[in-house]
Amino acid sequence: MATSTRSLSLRDLHARDSARIRKAFEATSDGLAATTQRAKLVDEITLRLWQELISSDAAAPRGFCLAARGGYGRAMLPPHSDVDLLFLSDSEAVLNRHKDGIGRMCQQMWDLHLRASPTARTVSGCAQFDPNNSELTVSLLDCRYLGGDRQVFDRLHDETVPQVVHRNWDALVQGLSGLTRTRHTKYGNTVFHLEPNIKECPGGLRDYNVACWLNFIAAFEKPRPRGESGPALDESVGEECQDGLRFLMSVRCFLHYLHGRDDNTLSWEAQDAAAARGVGIYGQPFDNAAEWMRNYFRHARPISRWANQLLDEVSAARSSLYRQFLSWRSRVSNADFSVVDGRVYLQQSTGVRDPELVLRAFEFTARHGLKLASDTERRIAEALGSLSFPQGAELWAHLREVLLAPNAAHALRDMHALGVLDTVLPEYRLIDSLVIRDFYHRYTVDEHSFAAIEGLHLLHKPEAESEARYAEILKEVEEPELLYLSVLLHDVGKGLPQGSHVDGSLEVGEKIFARLSLSEEQRETVRFLIANHLEMSAALRRDIFDHETVRAFAHKVGSPERLKMLCLLSYADIRAVNPQALTPWKAEDLWLLYAATMNYLNHSADDASFQASLQAEYVDKIAALVPRQEQPLREFLAGLPQRYLRAHSSEQIATHFAVASRIRQHPVQLALKLARDLFELTLITRDRPFLFATIAGALTAWRMDIVKANAFSSQTGVVVDTLSFRDRFRTLEQNPPERERFKRNLIEAINGEVDIEQLIASRVSTARLAPIKVTVDTRLAFDNESSSHSTLLEVIAQDRPGLLYKIASTLARHGCNIEIALIDTEGQMAIDVFYVTHQGGKLDGKTQKSLRATLHAELEDDKPVGPG
Amino acid sequence: MTKVEAVIQPSKLDAVKDALLEIGVEGMTVLEVRGHGRQKGHTEFYRGREYSVDLLPKVKLEAVIPDELVDKAVQAIVEHARTGKIGDGKIFLSRIDEAIRIRNDERGVAAL
Repeated sequence: MATSTRSLSLRDLHARDSARIRKAFEATSDGLAATTQRAKLVDEITLRLWQELISSDAAAPRGFCLAARGGYGRAMLPPHSDVDLLFLSDSEAVLNRHKDGIGRMCQQMWDLHLRASPTARTVSGCAQFDPNNSELTVSLLDCRYLGGDRQVFDRLHDETVPQVVHRNWDALVQGLSGLTRTRHTKYGNTVFHLEPNIKECPGGLRDYNVACWLNFIAAFEKPRPRGESGPALDESVGEECQDGLRFLMSVRCFLHYLHGRDDNTLSWEAQDAAAARGVGIYGQPFDNAAEWMRNYFRHARPISRWANQLLDEVSAARSSLYRQFLSWRSRVSNADFSVVDGRVYLQQSTGVRDPELVLRAFEFTARHGLKLASDTERRIAEALGSLSFPQGAELWAHLREVLLAPNAAHALRDMHALGVLDTVLPEYRLIDSLVIRDFYHRYTVDEHSFAAIEGLHLLHKPEAESEARYAEILKEVEEPELLYLSVLLHDVGKGLPQGSHVDGSLEVGEKIFARLSLSEEQRETVRFLIANHLEMSAALRRDIFDHETVRAFAHKVGSPERLKMLCLLSYADIRAVNPQALTPWKAEDLWLLYAATMNYLNHSADDASFQASLQAEYVDKIAALVPRQEQPLREFLAGLPQRYLRAHSSEQIATHFAVASRIRQHPVQLALKLARDLFELTLITRDRPFLFATIAGALTAWRMDIVKANAFSSQTGVVVDTLSFRDRFRTLEQNPPERERFKRNLIEAINGEVDIEQLIASRVSTARLAPIKVTVDTRLAFDNESSSHSTLLEVIAQDRPGLLYKIASTLARHGCNIEIALIDTEGQMAIDVFYVTHQGGKLDGKTQKSLRATLHAELEDDKPVGPG
Repeated sequence: MTKVEAVIQPSKLDAVKDALLEIGVEGMTVLEVRGHGRQKGHTEFYRGREYSVDLLPKVKLEAVIPDELVDKAVQAIVEHARTGKIGDGKIFLSRIDEAIRIRNDERGVAAL
């Protein structure tokens, strides 16, 4: 080429060959070929300029040479990339002598529209490592001889660079890791951007180079053959990463030609154009840009994993502190997995045959925040096709463990990347790397869902005041796994071709519910959350201080438990849209709406009673569970507050109905079950004075901590009370026969066969009190406005054994009837709301005054004392 | 040219935005803000704790428009942001000397 192009001016040569390279690229879409050819063309131009302006002998002058750095050093130069040059000399005097020549050479390159980026150094200057500018040393790793005194270049390449790397190994790796992690953070630590920068984003070309450099640095002890360029396409790199490089280079060349400059943003318009031409995919056109983008993510993902893996492994190789940390983590090794340098290996050396082992591996990484070793990933990937994964409750048990663990999002991403998530839940393939274009979302649908789960788990370590509020709500959620599952599935319907994505997610959700054998009660919760996941954001667009807005929203939500979960789902959903989406403004408004709705729900529990004629659909649903008993069911439901219906599933209500039908024969019906770490006691009987106080007192006597309670009564005088309590001394948990004795004792207490006061006095004195961490002042508030039938009494007090009994018995002694009781505990604060009546009506001022005085005295008298 | 700054209830943003588009105001900037006028804030209770909501959520809409559109724009904002209750917000008008479109250096009303 050199001989035939000598007669051409540099401008003509550059124009002619640039056009030729572009034409070839447009025909083949081969980015690697285009970048290599452009590097050759620029080599020829720089060499001719060298001969014209520095030395007519390409191998002279003595003591001075020219080298390519960075991407140009790797002999890969995309159409509009900078031309990084190193003017290298053996002394400052030589450099000064050629200062004008260097200036003229760069000027002429700029005149040719070649963006020369020169650095002039002495060899000894290159030996100085600046920890604040590790980029320069890194760029020397890729330096390539172009012209001038070869001996000067060889000194740099064969002696200086290896010495600098050896002397500053830790600082160099640390600098490179720091720069990479900062860049990753800037891009949300994810490959899955809707409009990615294909050079800078995780999984982009910069990551590929970082991985090459780290690979290179790690093996630097090995001598490098003279003249070999940098580690551009290392043989050790997996085929997937090499494919990724080819794809990304094609896209980068395409973007440069499209934008006419060094712009590497794969915007929506660029995606359309690239898809139409099938850039990177052998010129095979795509009708749908989203499908083409899936190819982009498929290629970027292995590069990202490779770079991250090397960042961990190479950093660990020499950093004693990091090794110490990893060694501490290696203590979590068990019979299935060993942890070496922060990576999880399978203990068994044979092929993976146990599908549960694979699921346990992700539970393990979710719990400990560890990464799978590449060997483990490979073995799982190889075995995946032949494994028969568990279904139903067994699968749900594994998925539940992953979802609840602190690093759930990290494990889910790995499960997704390795195809495990899509194998156990094939419906999830619908949103694999799916780009849905809108002005707000920054990530693909699957990544958005994982980021939302991550956002919820981050609440366990809240940093800002606003996060602490949501963290408190999360602590109170009874079945957080259902919340996490809802977050995982809330947008899965976006993968369906048409219709609203909420309907789509519900449709797909049904298949997943069946696959996981969720109970009807669990399905109803997840359905509710998916169906309403946009409702809170919609309510925020209205006046959240308007009573009607709050009332309408509260009616849609129905119960405090659902409100808590919906609020957290909305928080996580907004937060995962993009890093700026959840502004402090929005976080505050979301919480204000939550608080106002919670207040409304607690102050409107008897707002409306059940009317079967108005809710035929609801009756039908429960009636289907108790065939041929529709009329008795209507009678049972008549007059129960709506709050009761919303607080219980159809199955629970059907069970209550069945139990209630037996109270003629056995007037006190009790059901006891252990749900997680709490026992749940359901009592159905006819209402009578002191009933709620008696049951609370009996539980106190058995040294049970009442955490939550709901008490409702119907028009027919039947009460349905549900009390959740903690068995502090594991009396019932460890002695199943005691459960029957416990129930018998409760029935005796309700029937007045034992003296509750005496029972408490004989047993509670021995109970050890939990240490008081936060002192809570007793506060009593009466409200005659919120309910049309009752007076609301809100009691805030220091939680302690026997508190509920004390309040309920005081109310009973004042002749007050508890119509509804909503009992809750937040840390060591009891928050109880009672709907009480006195002689069939609201409490008058005198009764309130007397009750307030007695209650205040009672609750302050035996209040436990806190620290200080 | 006149700059119109309207501080309104967030719930009224969509209606006001549509009304402004309708009369030909195409460019605008919307900011999430908090503040209070004469109504000050109020106190709320949650789980026995009192918290004061002294700065209420509002949105601030800014648009620089040709003088001949000002009356119509003000009327559109007033009509669509008004509930008649305290807290509906305010509109501020100020003169603008120059506008420059960065892309092509257009000046004056043409740049709006």
